Amino acid sequence: MSCDKGSAPEHLATGPRGGPLKFRMRLASDPRLLPVVRSTVAELAAVWGFETEQCRSITLAVDEALCNVIQHAYKNRCDQEIELSCQAHSDSLEFSFVDRGEAVDPSRVCAQPLDETATSGRGTHLIRQIMDEVCYERLPEGNRLRLKKYLPGIKRSA
Amino acid sequence: MNASTREQSGVTIVDVSGDIDMGTSPALRKTLLEALKKTSRLAVNLREVRYVDSSGIASLVEVLKEAHNKQKRLILFGLNKAVHEVLQLTRLSKIFEIRETEEEALQA
Repeated sequence: MSCDKGSAPEHLATGPRGGPLKFRMRLASDPRLLPVVRSTVAELAAVWGFETEQCRSITLAVDEALCNVIQHAYKNRCDQEIELSCQAHSDSLEFSFVDRGEAVDPSRVCAQPLDETATSGRGTHLIRQIMDEVCYERLPEGNRLRLKKYLPGIKRSA
Repeated sequence: MNASTREQSGVTIVDVSGDIDMGTSPALRKTLLEALKKTSRLAVNLREVRYVDSSGIASLVEVLKEAHNKQKRLILFGLNKAVHEVLQLTRLSKIFEIRETEEEALQA
């Protein structure tokens, strides 16, 4: 398992509107579904108290993660299954992506330096820039990626 | 995503609308590279683009590289906040010629 975790919050924010929310969707690895997911994630992030710019960046990170699954785990096959789960905690939004594709080598993720003339490899950099925690895990039959973004105003210890 | 091409004051302008993502960026890349073959100045109108991901940025970088190789110019204009943010996140704002308006792009 490979994780980049930010430090734990020093205290938790008051949860936005009631208790935690969660949803799960199973979707085909078809790029035509990406706009559907983006709409859902953008709405959820807004409901959960993120500002407009952060909603856009969280949506971008989720989209890039799905693209990576389609391209790298499923080698652009459009008929495979991706399970996307989302949990809205009192202090954060957490996304989990499970696929049954080829293993991702964690040491190669983001290994490529950000060369301005590169025509690929920016997706994982974007994900790591945007999200507070990025955790990759190889499962017996696939891969799981977890992304977490804390709500603004959460005080984090150094 | 839709992309249509027109001529204005000796500049080829490609008007792009909709989302540029993994599903649509190959078509945009093809349109821009085709347009670049026939002009020395290509301006891309991104005013109606609501979303761009890393594959869209990669397509623009590829067209920019081709323009440089052929000693041609690529100018982007009409970028909204969402597109600006992605260029900033990818630290690519400075490698593109960016103008606010079509008029400025034509005069560039």
